[in-house]
Formats: sequence, structure tokens, C-alpha cells
Amino acid sequence: MSGRKETVLDLAKFVDKGVQVKLTGGRQVTGTLKGYDQLLNLVLDEAVEFLRDQDDPLKTTDQTRRLGLIVCRGTAVMLVSPTDGTDEIANPFIQPDGA
Amino acid sequence: MLPLSLLKTAQGHPMLVELKNGETYNGHLVNCDTWMNIHLREVICTSKDGDRFWRMPECYIRGNTIKYLRVPDEVIDKVQEETKSRADRKPPGVGRGRGRGREDGPGGRQPKGAGRGLDDGARTTSGGRGRGGSGGKNTGGRGSGRGRG
Repeated sequence: MSGRKETVLDLAKFVDKGVQVKLTGGRQVTGTLKGYDQLLNLVLDEAVEFLRDQDDPLKTTDQTRRLGLIVCRGTAVMLVSPTDGTDEIANPFIQPDGA
Repeated sequence: MLPLSLLKTAQGHPMLVELKNGETYNGHLVNCDTWMNIHLREVICTSKDGDRFWRMPECYIRGNTIKYLRVPDEVIDKVQEETKSRADRKPPGVGRGRGRGREDGPGGRQPKGAGRGLDDGARTTSGGRGRGGSGGKNTGGRGSGRGRG
């Protein structure tokens, strides 16, 4: 049965680790992954949502909102990445005027 | 050439993925599936307006949020090779041939059983196991006969 093998990413290695999740609509949440299923529904503990700019909902700010224990619905999950090793960096690409 | 076979061939290559929300992700493709869900490694995320950047060791992107992907040009050569060799590898009717062979199988086995039961002659023409047992008895009898002779 190929249905079981559908996940490209093995979330098992993220269990009990910090993950960052982006949801459709622009919300961005981090938390400790406590569980998941094959539909990518996620259980996050001590979840924190990054609030967004009032004027530009695409921009996240440093303001946060504590959510506690949450279930993220799989269909709304856009992106999952580990928080470990994720950092904001300076522009790594060649600047247009430098090229 | 199918979009997803190109993507599958691009595994291990660097690529750029733009999401519907305008964010772009540059990274090496680790894996992808039939939903275009993708797993990238060594990723650089760029915000929609292109003025903020994040580095992440890996990320999983849901296929239905992807706007487009940019893959290296050399991948197209590889995908053509692969589709060619796949077409060569598939002579039609191989599966059917095997099926026919199996049908012949029981027919081939029957003479074997008859051979084992040679001593009984046509007396036992029932199940193979029964025949085998009686054949064994007969050979034993034959052995003792030889001993006497």
C-alpha cells in the first residue's frame, strides 16, 4: 500500500523537537512536536504564534502569542521545518547592483 | 515528459521553489511525491518582498502551496535518458508469458508423478501424495528382493 508511504518527510525525527510550521493564510507557529499522522495533522506543545504586521499580514513581527497545546490541521499546514538551525541571515545572494 | 517525472529526476539537485504566498525556498531536493510535496535540504528562505532571509537545515513543503519550481537545465537531459531507457526496458507480453508457463506447470508435474509410481503401473492414478507413498513402499519391497537375490 503506497498510502502509508505518502509522506516525503519523516516527521518521526522531529518528535519532541522544536518545529516551525507555516499555515495557509499566513500564520506562523513554533512548538514542540508531540505527534502527527499521515495527513500531516500535528500536535504541538507550548506553541507560540508569531503575530503579524497589522498593515502587512505577510510580515511576521517579533510579537508573539502563547497558544499552549494545539492541534494543527494537516490541510492547513504549508511548511514544516526544524527550529534548530533556523536563523535569519543577511542576504546570501549576489546583490543586483553588485552583479 | 511529465512535470512530476522531471521533479523526481531533479532529486539531489539544487532548486528554487516559489510558494503561492510569494516566499521562495532555495535548497537541494531530497525527495518528492505524487502530490508534489517536497523535502528540501540546506534551505534559504526569502520573504515575499525579498528583503529578509532565513537559513534552515531542511524543510517540508506541501505540494498544493507551490506556485512554481526552477530546476537546473541539466535535469532535462537526464529525464529524457531515463524515459528512453524505461521504454526500452518494457517489451510487451513478458508478464503474460510467465502466466502461461504456470498454466503448463501442473501438466509437467503429472508425468513426474507417474514416473515415481512406475512400479505400481496404472494402479494408482489419484493424488500425487498418495502415489508418492505407495511408490516408496514398493521400492522398499524391491530392495529386500534384491538382497535375497
